[in-house]
Amino acid sequence: MKENLLNDCSIRTVEKCISRITRLGKWIPLLLLLIFPVLNGFAQQNVRISGKVTEKGGSSLPGVSIVVKGTTIGTITDLDGQFSMQIPQSAQTLVFSFVGMRSQEIPVAGKMVFNVTMEEEAFGVDEVVVVGYGTQKKANLTGAVDQVSSEAFENRSMANVNQGLKGVLPNLNITLGDGKPNQSPSFNIRGVTSIGQGGSALVLIDGVQGDASLLNPNDIASVSILKDAASASIYGARAAFGVVLITTRNPAKEKTSINISSNVTMLKPITIPDYVTDGYTWAKYFANSFVAWEGTYPTAVNKTLKFSQAYFTELERRHNSPLATDKEVEIDPVTGEYVYYGSTDHYDLLYKDYEIGNEHNVSVSGSSKTTSYLLTGRYQGQDGLFTWNTDKYQMINLRSKGSVQVYPWLRIDNNTEYSNRKYHNPLNVGEGAGIWRNIGDEGHPLAPMFNPDGSLTMSAAYTVGDFWYGKNGYDFNNKLFKTTNGFTAEFFKNTLRVKGDVTLRKSDNREKRKQVPVPYSNKPGVILYVGTTTNDLREIVTETQYIATNLYTEYENTFKEDHYLKLLLGYNYEESTYRRVMAQRNGLIFEDAMDINLALGQSIQTEGGWDKWNILGGFGRMNYSYKDKYLFEINGRYDGSSKFPSDQRFAFFPSYSAGWRVSNESFWKVDPRIISNLKIRASYGSLGNGNIASYTYSENFGTSQSGRILNGVRPQYTSRPTVLPEGLTWETATTVDFGLDFSMLKDRLVFVGDYYVRNTFDMYTIGKTLPAVFGATAPRGNYADLRTNGWELMVTWRDRFTLAKKPFSYDFRFTLADNRTEITKYNNPDKFLNDYYVGQIIGEIWGYENEGFFIDQNDIDTHAKQSPRFLTTSSGKIFPGDIKLKDRNGDGQITPGTNQVLNPLDSLKNPGDRYIIGNSAPRFMYSFNASADWNNFFVSAFFQGVGKQDWWPASEAEVFWGQYNRPYNKLPRWHLDNHWTPDNPDAYLPRYVSRLVNRSSAILNNNPQSRYLQNRAYIRMKNIQIGYNLPKGITSKIGAQNARVYFSGENLWTWSPLYKRTRDVDIENTTASDQLFTSGNAGDGFNYPMLKSMTLGLSITF
Amino acid sequence: MKKKYIWLFLLAISFAACKDVLEQEPMATASRSAVFGSEKGLELYANSFYNDLPSANNIHTCDNVSDFGARRNAPAFLQAAGYGPTTSDVTDASGYALVALGSDWNWGWGSLRNINYFIKYCNDPKIAPDVIRNYLGLARFFRAFFYFEKVKRYGKVPWINKPLDVADTLELYKTQDPRTLVMDSVLADINYACANIKATSDGTRSLVTKYVAYAFKARICLFEGTYRKYHTELNLQGTANKWLQDAADAAKEVMDKGGFKLNETGGTDLAYRNLFITQAPNANEIMMAVVMDLALSTTHAANWYLTSSTTGVRLNFVRTFINTYLNLDGTPFTNNPDYKTMVFKDEVKNRDKRLKQTIRVGDYKRINAGNQVVTGTNFNYSYTGYQPIKWCLDDVYYDSRDYNINCVSMFRFGEVLLNYAEAKAELGTLTDADWALTVGALRKRAGITGGLSTKPTVVDPYLQTTYFPNITDPVILEIRRERGTELCLEGFRFYDLMRWKRGELLAMEWNGMYVPELNVPIDVNEDGVKDVCYFKTTKPSPSVSGVLYIDVAPTISGAANPMRLKEDTKGEVTWLNTIPRKWEDKKYYYPVPETHRLVNPNLVQNPGW
Repeated sequence: MKENLLNDCSIRTVEKCISRITRLGKWIPLLLLLIFPVLNGFAQQNVRISGKVTEKGGSSLPGVSIVVKGTTIGTITDLDGQFSMQIPQSAQTLVFSFVGMRSQEIPVAGKMVFNVTMEEEAFGVDEVVVVGYGTQKKANLTGAVDQVSSEAFENRSMANVNQGLKGVLPNLNITLGDGKPNQSPSFNIRGVTSIGQGGSALVLIDGVQGDASLLNPNDIASVSILKDAASASIYGARAAFGVVLITTRNPAKEKTSINISSNVTMLKPITIPDYVTDGYTWAKYFANSFVAWEGTYPTAVNKTLKFSQAYFTELERRHNSPLATDKEVEIDPVTGEYVYYGSTDHYDLLYKDYEIGNEHNVSVSGSSKTTSYLLTGRYQGQDGLFTWNTDKYQMINLRSKGSVQVYPWLRIDNNTEYSNRKYHNPLNVGEGAGIWRNIGDEGHPLAPMFNPDGSLTMSAAYTVGDFWYGKNGYDFNNKLFKTTNGFTAEFFKNTLRVKGDVTLRKSDNREKRKQVPVPYSNKPGVILYVGTTTNDLREIVTETQYIATNLYTEYENTFKEDHYLKLLLGYNYEESTYRRVMAQRNGLIFEDAMDINLALGQSIQTEGGWDKWNILGGFGRMNYSYKDKYLFEINGRYDGSSKFPSDQRFAFFPSYSAGWRVSNESFWKVDPRIISNLKIRASYGSLGNGNIASYTYSENFGTSQSGRILNGVRPQYTSRPTVLPEGLTWETATTVDFGLDFSMLKDRLVFVGDYYVRNTFDMYTIGKTLPAVFGATAPRGNYADLRTNGWELMVTWRDRFTLAKKPFSYDFRFTLADNRTEITKYNNPDKFLNDYYVGQIIGEIWGYENEGFFIDQNDIDTHAKQSPRFLTTSSGKIFPGDIKLKDRNGDGQITPGTNQVLNPLDSLKNPGDRYIIGNSAPRFMYSFNASADWNNFFVSAFFQGVGKQDWWPASEAEVFWGQYNRPYNKLPRWHLDNHWTPDNPDAYLPRYVSRLVNRSSAILNNNPQSRYLQNRAYIRMKNIQIGYNLPKGITSKIGAQNARVYFSGENLWTWSPLYKRTRDVDIENTTASDQLFTSGNAGDGFNYPMLKSMTLGLSITF
Repeated sequence: MKKKYIWLFLLAISFAACKDVLEQEPMATASRSAVFGSEKGLELYANSFYNDLPSANNIHTCDNVSDFGARRNAPAFLQAAGYGPTTSDVTDASGYALVALGSDWNWGWGSLRNINYFIKYCNDPKIAPDVIRNYLGLARFFRAFFYFEKVKRYGKVPWINKPLDVADTLELYKTQDPRTLVMDSVLADINYACANIKATSDGTRSLVTKYVAYAFKARICLFEGTYRKYHTELNLQGTANKWLQDAADAAKEVMDKGGFKLNETGGTDLAYRNLFITQAPNANEIMMAVVMDLALSTTHAANWYLTSSTTGVRLNFVRTFINTYLNLDGTPFTNNPDYKTMVFKDEVKNRDKRLKQTIRVGDYKRINAGNQVVTGTNFNYSYTGYQPIKWCLDDVYYDSRDYNINCVSMFRFGEVLLNYAEAKAELGTLTDADWALTVGALRKRAGITGGLSTKPTVVDPYLQTTYFPNITDPVILEIRRERGTELCLEGFRFYDLMRWKRGELLAMEWNGMYVPELNVPIDVNEDGVKDVCYFKTTKPSPSVSGVLYIDVAPTISGAANPMRLKEDTKGEVTWLNTIPRKWEDKKYYYPVPETHRLVNPNLVQNPGW
């Protein structure tokens, strides 16, 4: 790839360094292996110490690690719990540690013999959870907060954090859309938020809004989600629908450590559709389905191949009695054009067998009494899935984090991050949509990739041939620079703390698109082109500069032993400035031109862009608890946003929560070994939704380029502005949450559960439908309400025992979440079904009930008449084997009625024969995680899935419908014996007729029906890993504290009820087509495949 | 120790914040005063009006619903129960089912709001009054265009002349205004446009000028005048002549002052077709066109529609219409007693030269990879044998997608002449000189030698019986013939039939060329290569390479065969008469879509729907 246009020298230097480091990466471990033992050899005079380690009952403990603090010098106890080792004279402290036991630090103080008794460690007692502007002991939480630590990402190979976070936390819902490595979907917490302004969870990285997809997964210390309004309200209007707090790792304490890890990954699509590639079979089905719909014989296979009866006869002859002289490509004696008799597998041509990814990480961390530092670097790359013009992916992350204790009471910190991501996305100029749709439309098995003279066939030029030609595509480059400077000051014996920080974040996104025509030949010696209307370069540069500052003070004290009080008061200001420049010009002087200077055509487009907003808020929180039994919290934020008109700009959002730790009551007599903790929580809060586009309240005249040539140019134009809404106010989301936490069996079993109701009021939606003469969509206003209710629970079980005299520890974690959304107010009094209506459950699918197929003409004649919107042939005639719909309302005809919900008072308003056949919203999202550790081996498996969700494969979903969609589409192999014929009346699919799905008014187009509704519930083994920590004896020899090797697999196994029908599409790919090419849908499943991967890795810590 | 408390104090006072900081102005969009405060701004806005005109594809597919041609399927609009108030909202306007020109083709009103908004605010005193009037003239031209389409389609519609507010309930929920009120308003608009648009010529032929406005006025007035004359049920016959006179006057204004003339470049063999296949609009004759330019990434898809078996509706002329092309000497072709049994290669000879510039005949050549190849009718696309080449570029390169770069005219001088002639003829004031200037000139360009200078005096019985039995005036009959041959596939036919009250013609049988016998391959264009062969049930063997064999048996695989010969074993090809098309008088107006009547119950449904 050509070097980009960097102006910033310092960044360029850093970039060069990191690329050198990554190139050197493989040598670094070796170098260090050589250096460390040498360094150790120079150590000063040593002292021999020895001792024995026992358990509380007195039995000896083998395998306990004893390390001199701050060094790599150490040993482990033998089978009798004995140890002996040399330590330097300067050694101060020994650290005794053992899995499941509380670590102990014992001063050396000149002693030679150390007999130590280790105590079992209770689980999770002092667990601390990250909350808004601070941390809190989990035991004292009153809001709904969940957290995972870095373990969720360890040893996993992922292009970005979003892929790793999916399914990890209950009711944190991430829809990836497809398997592209640069996906950065928005995060949703707890289901549908608003059908007005919309809104997703606020993602904060170290307290500042950010894009998780640009983060180094290895930098993450914890991910915490604030689910209810009470926990989130400290962030005000941006946090109306929850907050995801990602906290990065801090420097290690008082020791220096260097970690180096590398892994290599093999990736491939989870599924590749199994389509018939035999040319003759495909052609037979193509022609049959074509004739069945059109009533005439096809003269062409879409745009790229001619077709006729004579041609098919020849195909048949070649199939039945092939001759040695038959060639795949012949020449028509009359026209001189090529004639093809191929059997081409376009998916085989499209994808490599597998792609390789690799990742290298370096992290250096250390501290002294007054300073600490952490430097991390990562390179991650994938060499692309496609055989040609592949989608290469590269990402570099750098972070430096450090602090200096300036005075005993004052510490200053810096946290600086840089990331650079490059991705190449090939495109097709033939029709512009993603390659999958192009293959569906023009990748006909009959046409081979190449003509005998090596030129592309027309069919290929529309599809994979464009990739082979290799000149068309998008190049994305996203760069992020972020630096935060902060301070922490302590006053009055650390009862008052003041913290402040200023962040500057600059993100630069560049997108370069190139489109040049692709040559092909249809006749020897003649070169023609596909995509002649293109031949252009487009560059888009966007820059967002973001400044955030926080200043807050915290007072914490306990009075009279029983009264704990914590107060927080703070101020926050943020400002975001977005600029965009787009330039496009055609007429490249040669097809490899990569700079717009070499585009000389007259089709010139330029666009600007500007968006600036800022917010200002003051916030406060009070925590009070009495004897750790009664917990109270009040949050409030006075918030202002530039996006609202001046009279609506500021609003106050309070929230309240309380907890009762029943197990701390004096009347609670349950043995703490059985139930160690029982807490009941409740919270209530109301938040304004600040997710609104800037300048919504002014009459804006935007400019666009006209599609029409006027006076020799395509001029800019402007037109009537959107009709302005009046008297607008904030949408508000009000959440009530009830929680129950308990721990049992010495904290082995921990349960956390929440039930919530979130009402979103005054949603900014379209007004009541006005007569069309209004000439515009009715102005929006605060017209609608919805209610989402749901629950989530998490159960963990942790335990350990001794197996073969070695400790065995394991844990299970299970999460389950559900939510459901109902519209409670909406401007659709007549309840038309093409819009929301009161009582609607989001996702519901209205459809018809199938009664199987028509048996014979008598059946057709006597059955209720199906209206002309259910065509099964272009002429409207119905044949045996066609889909038969049930006359549910018994009026003798099948119709959509008035497209309204049945009105019990006025049955003239009705949905016809439709009813709710299913729901497309996911329900019962679950995950299951199991891991175990024994004798330096560790294994874990992570499963994730959805319990209930329906999928109606919409128009153009060729991956499901094959030639029922378009006659020239692919033929899924499972269709072959599964369509109705007089001999096969019980087949799943109807009579073999094309266009049933894609023609308007055809029976399967926008007419969902029970028989073909698919169940897309699933369970997926998201990750599995097995690894080995090299024994201390070995690692200490190379001077390492720790070394491990591991194998990790992503998405290796999936099951879904859908797979009983077809495995041609991965369950997560049943979504809309590649969103790069259209924000609409060119067909479900026409998108970049989800990938599975296998990774081998090595990690060494010095 | 004290120092840190000073710090604390400083921090405390920095909490004081100011509110004004949250005021942000949009920088990437303009304000209303910026747009309406300068001529540049008015031009910027006025450019948006053109987006509501029909697209090139819209124009060249518009005659898909007409009596000219047979097509792949029967238009839903013409099938019994194929179209109605509840389906009218969901049918597309891409030439498959119904007729519409421009955006807002259904019960849509967005472009009207755009125009009315402009008219309301185009009044900045900083701008010279004549500039303001010029732009108001443009806006009112487009408002006339909008309402003309609405009236053609629905008959009666509400008249709205300002951008409505939510509170304007009286106007939002009003019923349709009388046709007379709306058309008088349209006339006022177009008169204002004629009087105030400043530009008198536009070299690029892409902009609305004064004479485009006059040409449009002539079109509107002719429509309304003839509509009122023939639709006697409206009881507006008394006002018809006023409209017809306006039409004639407006056309005359263009003829006298517009600076246009019929294109003669290319001679009688090519002058006509050149109007439809050049990239730059023909400067002689085309007054305004949708302009295409590959370099500006604007193309249309006429070739794709006309040469694909799936993309378009495979519109091909029926023989009944082809029969109306005159002989070169100016006599009706149908005067020949054997015309009914004349085979394709013979009937296309010696005819009005527009015929060979409209369909593939004789030595029509296409260009394939640079080579000129004689190409006859492709029976894979053509049901009747009369395959259109109007709008279709010769190079096969253009066939496979939307690659066409030829401009598509919206207003041309030829139509102005026909409008003038028809208005005068309907008024009864057409003179021989008028005839020579109009129809005569058009026929002369087409190589016709007879009847150019004097009005016809003899009724052509074929034309009268087949098309217009109620017309006895030979002049009117001939002018109507001329509109067909001159303007076919330019998007006028459907509403010509409506205003002449001849909707019945839309249900006309779809017939094709005469086939004298079965099982004998036919060479339609006499290039020595056999093209097509008709058979019944059993295909002749051995088959001749390159010949398309078409089965005309009554049934194929048990189903009725849409492709037949009229006399079973010989005769005219007939196509798809198995799917009945039916004309009902209610179809003179489209139904008001039911969904809109639910929103505004005051809207009255058109009669019969």
